[in-house]
Amino acid sequence: MDQLSALLHMSPATLWMAFKVLLVFAGPLTLAALMTWVERRGSAMIQDRIGPNRAALFGKWRLLGLPQLAADGIKAFMKEDLVPPHAHKFLFWLTPILAFLPAALGFAVIPFGQSFQSGGQTYHLSLLDPGNGMGMLYPLAIGATAVYGVLVAAWSSNNKWAILGGMRASAQMVSYELGMSLAVISIFMTTGGYDPHQIIAAQNGMWNVGPQFVGFLVFFTCMFAETNRLPFDFAEGESEIVAGYFTEFGSMKFALMYLSEFIHLVTASALIVTLYFGGWRVPFVGNPGVLLSVAAFLGKTLFFCWVFVWVRWTLPRFRYDQLMKMGWKVMLPLSLANFLFHAFLMFRRG
Amino acid sequence: MAVIVKQVELSWLDRTYFWPIFKGMVITMRHFLRQITTRTKDRYTVQYPDMKREMPEGYRGLHELKRFEDGAIKCVACFMCAEACPARCITIRAEEFSDLNLTQGFEEKRPAIFKIDMLRCIYCGYCEEACPKDAIWLRKDYELAAYDRLSMQFGKWDLMNTYADVDGKARLTQESEKEIKIHHGDTESTEKR
Ligand code: SF4
Ligand code: SF4
Repeated sequence: MDQLSALLHMSPATLWMAFKVLLVFAGPLTLAALMTWVERRGSAMIQDRIGPNRAALFGKWRLLGLPQLAADGIKAFMKEDLVPPHAHKFLFWLTPILAFLPAALGFAVIPFGQSFQSGGQTYHLSLLDPGNGMGMLYPLAIGATAVYGVLVAAWSSNNKWAILGGMRASAQMVSYELGMSLAVISIFMTTGGYDPHQIIAAQNGMWNVGPQFVGFLVFFTCMFAETNRLPFDFAEGESEIVAGYFTEFGSMKFALMYLSEFIHLVTASALIVTLYFGGWRVPFVGNPGVLLSVAAFLGKTLFFCWVFVWVRWTLPRFRYDQLMKMGWKVMLPLSLANFLFHAFLMFRRG
Repeated sequence: MAVIVKQVELSWLDRTYFWPIFKGMVITMRHFLRQITTRTKDRYTVQYPDMKREMPEGYRGLHELKRFEDGAIKCVACFMCAEACPARCITIRAEEFSDLNLTQGFEEKRPAIFKIDMLRCIYCGYCEEACPKDAIWLRKDYELAAYDRLSMQFGKWDLMNTYADVDGKARLTQESEKEIKIHHGDTESTEKR
C-alpha cells in the first residue's frame, strides 16, 4: 500500500480514499447492471418464459444472456438523443443526473465489511469513516432527495402523463418517508447511536430483525415505495400513464434513469441489511475478517435485491387510494406502535 | 340489469396482507425453481431457429407438385386448381405431350409453366382439394422467405423440388425431364421442342 502510494505520489490516506470511492461507486453500479439482467431473466423464469438469451459475444458466446447488458448499453448510446420541443431544455438535461446521484450517493456511509488494522492504522470499509456526524441520517436524507429527480423529470417533460406520475410519486414518497423514519428511529433508540458502524456493532449476537420485526416489515415496505418498485410503482404506472415520469426520455437518458432505479434498489437492500440484518456480520462468527465480512454483506445485499425482484413479479400494483391508505393508516401507526413499544421496553429495563 | 357482485369475505389472516403475499411469493418461487431446473428442450417455449416444432398432420404449408417414380410430373394441367384458387395465384400454361411411357399412361397434357405466387397464396389448400390427380400437395414446410418478390414466384421445377431433400428424392431440372424421355426411347417429342 505504501509503495503503491509512493509510486502514484499520493499519501496512503488519499490512495485508500480513492480506492474506496472507486469501489463504492463502481460496486453498486455493477450490481445494478447485473440486477437488470437478474430482473429480466428472473422475471422470465418466474413467468415460465425464457427471457433475453440471444445476445452473444462475437456472435458466439451467449453466457446466459449477459451480453444483453452490453448490447443495451450500445443501443442506448447509439440512439438519437431527442429532447421534445415543448420540454424545459435545461431541466430535461439535468434530470438524469438528479435521478442518478442520490441513488449512487446513498451508499457512502454504509459499511460493506469489517474494519481492519494494518500498520498501526485502522481502515474502515465504508466511504465515510465512523464518527462523521451524519451516520444513518445521511442515506435517509439523500434518499429523500430522489423525489426531486422524479419530480423534475416529470415537470421538465411538460407532459400530462409525466406530471401525473411525478405528482403521484412525490406524494407517495413523502407519505412513506414518515413510517420509514419512525422505524429507523426506533433502531437508533435501541442502539443508542445513529452511526452505521455502531448499529452493526450493536447487532452482535442478535440481528435487529428479531426484536424489531414489525419495524423491519414497515421499513421493507417503505423501501419498495421509496425505490418506486412494484407494487408501488406509481411514478411509472405502465398500464395507466405509460411509464409516467420518464415517458419523454429516450436513449442514454432513459438508460441512466432506468439504471438509477436499480442503483436505488441496491442501496435500499444495503440499508436493509445494515439496519436489520447485521450488516457484514456472519452468524456464529464473532470476527469474520475482511474477506468473509465483505462476502457476507454482498450475499445479504444480493438476497434482498432478489427479494425486490421477486416481490415485483408476484404482486400487482395497488390502487392509488389503497396506497395512501396503507401509508398513512397502516404503515405510520405500525411504526409508531413499534417505536412506542421499544421505548416502553427500554423504560422498563431502565 | 342488475349484476350482483359477490363480495368475498376476507379472513383476518388475509386482511393482514402479509400472509397472502407470502403465499403468492411461494407460488412464484415454485415457478422460478421449476423453470430454472427444466432443460431448455422441455420448456414451453420453442426456441425457434434452434428448435423447430413438428407441424401437425394436415398442416398446410409450402406446396409440392407430385411426381411419378420415374420423375415425370403427375399434373395434367387441367386448371382445376387455378380455378379453385381464391387468391388467383396459380398460373398454368399447358403443353401437348405425347410420350407413351410406362407410368404416365395415355395422358397427353402437362404444364409447360406452373407458377404459384407464394406472396399471394393464402395456404387455404383448395388447390389440393380440387386436384383430380392428387398432383399438388400442401405440406409441412412453413419457412418461406426471400429477399425479393421475384424469388417468391415458384415455378414448376421449384415446386417439384420443394420437398426433394426431405424425402430423399432427386432434384429435377429441365434436363432431367429430357433424360426421362430418352430413357423411354421417345426422341421425337424431345426433338420437337
Ligand atoms: S393454397 Fe389456396 S391460395 Fe394457395 S395456391 Fe392453393 S388454392 Fe391458391
Ligand atoms: S395440379 Fe392438379 S388440379 Fe392443378 S392443373 Fe395439375 S392436375 Fe389439374
